[in-house]
Order: sequence, then C-alpha cells, then structure tokens
Amino acid sequence: MPENRLKVDARGIACPGPITELVKAYRNAKNGDIIEVMATDPGFKPDVEAWIKRTGNQLLELREEGGTYVAVIKVTAKK
Amino acid sequence: MKKRVVVIGGGAGGAILANNLPLEDFEVTVVDRSPYHYYWPWLLYVAFRGSRRPMRREIESLLKPGINFIQSGAQSVDLNNRKVVLEGGKTLDYDYLVIATGSRPTYEQIGGHEKAVEKYGDYHSTVENAERVWKSINSLKQGTFAVVVGGDPYRCPPSPLEGVFLAEEFFRSRGLRDRVRVVFAVPYPRPYPAEPMNEVVEPLLKERGVEYITFFTLDRIEDDRKVAVSMEGEELKYDALVVIPPHVGTDVKISPEDVLTTDRFIQADKYTNNIKGFDDAFVIGDASAVPVAKTGVTAHLQAEVVAKRLQGEDARNSGRTNCPFDLGYGLGTFVISDYRNPVVKLPPSRFSHMAKMLFAATYWDMVRYPELWNPIFEAYFDATEPAKLARIYV
Ligand SMILES: Cc1cc2nc3c(=O)[nH]c(=O)nc-3n(C[C@H](O)[C@H](O)[C@H](O)COP(=O)(O)OP(=O)(O)OC[C@H]3O[C@@H](n4cnc5c(N)ncnc54)[C@H](O)[C@@H]3O)c2cc1C
Repeated sequence: MPENRLKVDARGIACPGPITELVKAYRNAKNGDIIEVMATDPGFKPDVEAWIKRTGNQLLELREEGGTYVAVIKVTAKK
Repeated sequence: MKKRVVVIGGGAGGAILANNLPLEDFEVTVVDRSPYHYYWPWLLYVAFRGSRRPMRREIESLLKPGINFIQSGAQSVDLNNRKVVLEGGKTLDYDYLVIATGSRPTYEQIGGHEKAVEKYGDYHSTVENAERVWKSINSLKQGTFAVVVGGDPYRCPPSPLEGVFLAEEFFRSRGLRDRVRVVFAVPYPRPYPAEPMNEVVEPLLKERGVEYITFFTLDRIEDDRKVAVSMEGEELKYDALVVIPPHVGTDVKISPEDVLTTDRFIQADKYTNNIKGFDDAFVIGDASAVPVAKTGVTAHLQAEVVAKRLQGEDARNSGRTNCPFDLGYGLGTFVISDYRNPVVKLPPSRFSHMAKMLFAATYWDMVRYPELWNPIFEAYFDATEPAKLARIYV
C-alpha cells in the first residue's frame, strides 16, 4: 500500500494544545504513513519528543522556522 | 429592504446570534432539526450527580418574537448560489448565512465503542446516555472505574477531567474509595493537554489518589475481557468505563466541498468567522474548524462578533476561551486563554466553582436577553483578560 502524507496545521492552538491535533492524525493513520505537524505553541517541541519516546513512532525531522515548529513523523508503532 | 439571514442550528451559537440582530434591519430565520435547545454542560451533573434538573428548552421560546423558526433538518447548502435546502425539499434563499450546527460524537473510530456506550453510558451525547453513567457508578461497589479520552476533538476540553474529579468525589462520599480505583487515560503527555492548566490539576489528581495513564491512544474496547486496548497494544483493565467520544462536524452537505476538513468541520477566518472564500457566509461555535476550544463561551463570543459584522461593524474575535472547570468538592477553576496568550494558571477556588454554577443558572436568560447580559459579560471578560491574569497568576 502506498504511504500517505498527512499534513496537520496546528498553528495558533493554545488550548487544548497542538498535541491534540497530532493525536487525531495518528488515530487515522496506518503504519508507514507520514504525519507532518506545524505548530506555534512553544510546548509543542518537548511534547512531540516525549510522545515519540513513549509511543515508539519515528521522528524524521523536528525543525523551527521563524516561530513555527514542524515535526515530521513516520507511523511505525501501531499493533 | 431587510436583509435575509438564515441561521442553521438554534443551539448556543445560533440562538444567541439570532437574538443579537436588530429585527428592524434583518429578517431572521432559524432552522433546527430539534425542537429543543440543550444546555449540554449539564450532562456532567446528570452523569455524576444524578441531577434530574431539566436541561433543555423549546428553541421557539428562546428566540425573540419576530424571529422565524423552522423545525427541520438542513440537508444541503450551496454557498455559491446562496441556497439552503431543507429535509423535505423546501429551499431558503439568503443574503447572509450562519452555520451553527455544533459537533456530534462519532462511535465509528474505536472498536467496540457503541456497545460500551450502550452498557456504561457517556456524557457527551444524550441525556439517556448520561443517565447510564449514573447507573454504572451506582452499581460499581469495587474494582476499577476508568475514564478514557477516546480522541479529538470533543466539546469542552476540561470535561474529561471534570468527570474524573466528580467520580472520585462520588465514590469517596459513598465510602467506597478504598475499594474503587479511579483511572484516567489520555493520549497526551499529561492529564490536561495544555501545560499551565495541567500544573493546576495534576497535583489534585495525585492528592486524591486518582491514577492516570498518559500516551494512551485508544484503539478498541474488548468488553468480554473488560480491557481497553491502545494502538500500541497497551491494555487497561476496567470494571466500568466511560469513553470521551471523538467528535465530528456537520452532517449538512456543503458545496463547495473544500470548505470542509476531513472530519467535516467548516474552515473559516479565525477573526471574523467568514467561511473560507465567502463574505456572506459564516460558521460559529463547535461546527467551525478555527483553532479554539469547542465551548459554549466561544460560540457566544463568536455570535456577538458575527452579529456586529452583519451590522457593518469591524468586530473581531480575540480567540478567548473561558471554560469553567469543576474540580470536585466545591472547587473550580477556569481555562482562560486567547489567540495571543497561553492558558493562565488559575488556582482552584470556591469562587470559580460558584461562578460556574452562576453561569449555569443564568444561561437561559443570557440566551434570551442579550441586551441585559452582554454588558455584564463584557465587563467580566475585560476584567479576566488572560494578559491581565497572567500577571497575577504566574
Ligand atoms: C459534558 C459537556 C460539558 C460542557 N461544559 C461546558 C462549559 O462548562 N462551558 C462551556 O462554555 N461549554 C461547555 N460545553 C460545550 C458547549 O455545550 C458547546 O460548545 C456549545 O453547545 C456549542 O454551541 P453550538 O451552537 O456550536 O452547538 P450546539 O449547542 O450543539 O447546537 C447545534 C444545534 O444545531 C442543530 N443541528 C445540527 N445539525 C443540524 C442540521 N443538519 N439541520 C438543522 N439543525 C441542525 C442541533 O440540533 C443543535 O440544536 C460542554 C459540553 C459538554 C458535552
């Protein structure tokens, strides 16, 4: 099956927070899919890192561009 | 000539918007599938306190005389040709359209979800399901009571933890706290997703002995084994379980379709609520995809902004949230933030709890008589601006 690339724009979300948008995309993804999340909330970076560590999915890239964080994640941990 | 405004949905956002329009200038028609407007926050007290207080009123009784009400579902909207088609085929033309159809739980994303709701209930759908939760907690004399956040988005970000706090209080008041474990599972890194508010609530969970599991993305419920299973295969054993259902947006067919997100929320300008690409159509409240929490307060503030814009004023949303948060034992807080300021770390107090109950008590009046309540709310929102509070509660 071809991999999907899911783009998630979570810029400007303070409450409940951009991590909720990542989780939503993850729910609908399958192993092999790529999720790309954009966020402005400063808490996003440590949250993504912790999420990757605990769920065992793969972080391909986490960069900051002019106040926007972009995380590129490969879904690998689904059972 | 009066401008024709069609409002789809007579809930919090739709009814407040309609009542804020001067009828000398506008011919206002509200369309709702249901004859009733529900005060949804009360589901929490039906579920965890066994409240029997009526939580709905007839929409017609909440609208000012002179506003037309049509009880019918809206089937489709054609934004380019300014037409709304109702179930049954009637067509409405408009000069301005406001979509305020809210959001609804979906039980299709999680395996075994529907069956679990039939058995244990939930408090984000119907009064009947909230009554089932009350039955479930009353029949649980020992074992594990689990509240699991099933997916995003859902109405009212504090509501999962409010259920947890009230359940803990319930079991303690029944003298069962040493026999009933209360467990809370979330897909996030911490119990409350926004960090500053988490700093307020996490210590309370610890203090009250509520266990919590983070990074738990619910995949399915296997009720024959009484386990909830995460997407990574982690298992949570329960004896009774309440899942916060993920919500989806509108069931109205909208053309052009590209204004909708994949989960059917309507994309709009976050400052003006204009539906993407249309200056004569708006979406307010839970139905919108703007980056702000799905709460009645938001719907209310957006309704006021759109009412002003329809009257030619350049009003804009600040993205303000003001979600009351019941922490149990008569304590409360509020989740306050806006587009420019992160969530304030507002400490628990009896006063905040009282303010929550005061909002509930004045709700129907507030919907019906905006001319009386708008100035009071304006003063309140002004005094509690996140930028101001942040200087006090660091
Ligand atoms: C447990 C719980 C606790 C909450 N606590 C709080 C709180 O403390 N504070 C707070 O501010 N908010 C709270 N909320 C959230 C609040 O209830 C909602 O955000 C608010 O009701 C949103 O208003 P709305 O007008 O967007 O949608 P709704 O009030 O849901 O109204 C939508 C209306 O549209 C109608 N409709 C839908 N589809 C159609 C169609 N196709 N055709 C015609 N009509 C249609 C529906 O019948 C409904 O009447 C809570 C919610 C829950 C579930």
